[in-house]
Amino acid sequence: MWVRFCERWFGLLLILGLACLPFFLDKYTQFVVNLILVYVTVGIGLNFLLGYTGQFAFAHAALMGIGAYTVGLLTTRLGISFWIALPLAGVAAAAIGGIGALPALRMKRAYLALVTLAFAELIQWVLIRWKDVTLGTDGVSIRPPRFFDYALKGDYKIFWLILVVTVIMYVIARRLTESRIGRSWVAVRENEIVAQCNGINVTATKLVVFMVSAFYAGIGGGLFAATLGYIVPDGFGLLQLVLHFSIVVIGGMGSVFGGVIGSLLLTTLPELLREYPQALELIYGILLCIFIIFMPTGIAGFLKQWRVLPPEVMSRNWQALRDRPRPEKRS
Amino acid sequence: MSDILAVDGLTVRFGGLTAVDSVSLKVPEREIHGLIGPNGAGKTTFFNAVSGLVTPSGGSIGFLGRTITTMPPYARAALGIRRTFQSLQLIPRLTVLENVLMGLHTEIRTNPWASLFTLRGRDKGEKEAQARVLATLDYLGIGATILSQTGTLTFAQQRYVEIARAIVSSPPFLMLDEPAAGLSPNEVRDLDRLLRRLRDERGITILLVEHVISLVLGVCEQVSVLDNGRLIAEGTPEQVANDPKVKAAYLGEDSGADGH
Amino acid sequence: MDIATLLVAGLANGSLYSLMALGLVLVYKTQDVINFAHGEVLATGAFLGYTLYKVVGLPYPIAFVVAILLGGLLGGLIERIAFRPIAHHPHITLAMVTVGLSFALKGALRIPYGRDIYVFPPLMGHTPIMVGATAISPQSIVTIVVALMLAGALFAFFAYTTMGKQMRATQQNITGAALVGINTGRIFSFTWALSCLIGAAAGVLAGPLSLLYPDMGTNYLLKGFAAAVLGGLESVPGAMVAGLIVGVIEMLFGGLISTAFQEVSAFFIIIIVLMFRPHGLFGQKPVHRV
Ligand SMILES: Nc1ncnc2c1ncn2[C@@H]1O[C@H](COP(=O)(O)OP(=O)(O)O)[C@@H](O)[C@H]1O
Ligand SMILES: [Mg+2]
Repeated sequence: MWVRFCERWFGLLLILGLACLPFFLDKYTQFVVNLILVYVTVGIGLNFLLGYTGQFAFAHAALMGIGAYTVGLLTTRLGISFWIALPLAGVAAAAIGGIGALPALRMKRAYLALVTLAFAELIQWVLIRWKDVTLGTDGVSIRPPRFFDYALKGDYKIFWLILVVTVIMYVIARRLTESRIGRSWVAVRENEIVAQCNGINVTATKLVVFMVSAFYAGIGGGLFAATLGYIVPDGFGLLQLVLHFSIVVIGGMGSVFGGVIGSLLLTTLPELLREYPQALELIYGILLCIFIIFMPTGIAGFLKQWRVLPPEVMSRNWQALRDRPRPEKRS
Repeated sequence: MSDILAVDGLTVRFGGLTAVDSVSLKVPEREIHGLIGPNGAGKTTFFNAVSGLVTPSGGSIGFLGRTITTMPPYARAALGIRRTFQSLQLIPRLTVLENVLMGLHTEIRTNPWASLFTLRGRDKGEKEAQARVLATLDYLGIGATILSQTGTLTFAQQRYVEIARAIVSSPPFLMLDEPAAGLSPNEVRDLDRLLRRLRDERGITILLVEHVISLVLGVCEQVSVLDNGRLIAEGTPEQVANDPKVKAAYLGEDSGADGH
Repeated sequence: MDIATLLVAGLANGSLYSLMALGLVLVYKTQDVINFAHGEVLATGAFLGYTLYKVVGLPYPIAFVVAILLGGLLGGLIERIAFRPIAHHPHITLAMVTVGLSFALKGALRIPYGRDIYVFPPLMGHTPIMVGATAISPQSIVTIVVALMLAGALFAFFAYTTMGKQMRATQQNITGAALVGINTGRIFSFTWALSCLIGAAAGVLAGPLSLLYPDMGTNYLLKGFAAAVLGGLESVPGAMVAGLIVGVIEMLFGGLISTAFQEVSAFFIIIIVLMFRPHGLFGQKPVHRV
């Protein structure tokens, strides 16, 4: 009980502390903080697929693009409210991603990667070529969301919106991974045969995780659009994707904390390296290799090992089992 | 008594090799049925066909009066066919709790609204599932390990965790693939007792593949013998043990003849 | 445009896709992993060729040979340094390392070459040879001939050399190969070297047909994937033939329908193959292994 209690209050305090940030930060730092939060959602989503389920796919940046463009086009071009457009961004990414991945799901694992890489190129191509709708390479500028009559304009005000959505997405992620759904993902990752013999429909599970992951990418993309205020197709290409991979691998595969840690580190890294944009790909690539080989559970795994972070047992409220009276041991 | 499993003329081919050759087998309810035979006889393949992991080239499989020959494995598991594997198939980095909860996948009824979107996220289904896991582990005598990392347990404990995962959903039918392999004589005796308790107290029908013949002869009511994919003998343990064909099949392969 | 002209151009591009698919299939068959860095191997080959030919000033054939040998060396090094230590890790680790390598290689190319575009001059001038109404660019002929020669050499290598036979044995059954005394570590290194040598060759050949920039590999990688999938992912002759088919389809798409669609033909080919013939033109129906 104690641990759970601490975690809960610590979480609340953290959120309250974060909510006060706009009063202390300069505009640029606030922008970076906003981006970090956006990538928490994006990173957690990819972690479901890559870390929890062990499925290798290349569509996450493209799906984020679908989310961003859904928000951008619906709000700016059709005048639909941001509050409706944001969930639709998630739904659109989940639906389009699900349809795209479907043909690969029953095949050997290599095919999902092949199909989604081609799919990502297709999405890029649509965003660039379908000028009548997407405005092509000109990009779309996004109208600031309104909260009743109050426009959430500028980095400070948009921050609260992002914070609220991020907290919701984080909590849902924790609960998903503490339920039978999250466990079915891990079962599929570890051994598809054993998963099936325990009643898990492997193909359906892969479809579910792909769509949930895409939903997170879509929501993240919608927030991303609101943060930047302006999106272009090029923003959702391979450089975006390698950032996502790095967030998951360096933060920690198969850990919700990992998504948070990864986005904190990897969103600030490019800002620190602004002088040397040419070196970014090289650094990401080398970091990816080093972490995946020498520290496959990432920084979150390391911190959990040293008990800085609590364990992530995949069952809701498992802590209650610690405090139960110990039964007599039978022979 | 009705048959829980009715296999008729089952044939499984891998390319040119016939691993299971028109085998017919009936297992009545509440029986512990032994399936023995030398290495490579096709016992595991038979299990795989009943679980749905390999597609038979011929024959039919009936379970609880339904034909399940073409049913996918996850649906068979949901019907109540559960099994263990010849080599341990657990997730060593996860806790015993998480491993055994996998066995309840089809049983847990979550209310997504209450569990995902409410402030406290109370989840009754999950709580009941934890209680069932705990009860099962206690029943097997390893309740204290519930939050241990599975990979840190002893080999025998891990075998029991696998059995716990297979029975936690209270299935009517259980298939065990060499559960005594690697256990000490004392542990085999415990296993013998456990199998009887599973049948008597929980009403589970068991199909047992085992090389430790003493266990098979002691605990099974009926024994079937496979050799080269074919069913060569069937009967009570005494009948089978004295069957000359069975002796011939084991000749030159005596590692399995008496286990230890 | 004339159909025959399109066909020749398609075959020229297609022979590059064949080479890409060959490299991918070789590694996939031996180590069960898709090398996502293969596009960057092609780009590295292209820039090596460019630098040796245009900057250093070596004669073209020598520049070609040196560039592909360096490409092979790169492959061997990748296997030895990045792959050998993790050969027993889960599949996702291997796949992720190739992704990391792909960005590292691209980043390494980016440092000297930046975001500019380089032009590799054609070897035999621009004037097309006219056969009736069909315009054939000499560069296309060179590409097709060299690619075919490479493929022929590869088949001969697999059929007649000890190393080639050992490589095939390892692809069939790694444990079995190790049991009969084949040094599988060496086989893996050699497979990577061979795969990257072919990839680099595709890069040098691609130079005059396309433009050079560090991101050039992605497009070839995708087309190579499409060819590999069409060929059945595990078939060497399949990859060869399928590459040519992909090249021709792409050109016909571009010439007869619209050039815009040409850019995404890879996606449609992969999807259509998966829907109607998932094991490809030449692959065998998978046998389920439990
Ligand atoms: N998936 C498979 N593919 C090809 N051959 C198989 C496969 N599974 C089992 N076999 C072969 O079928 C035969 C029976 O194997 P198995 O059922 O494991 O025997 P047992 O469990 O009785 O020792 C063996 O010769 C084995 O090599
Ligand atoms: Mg067996």
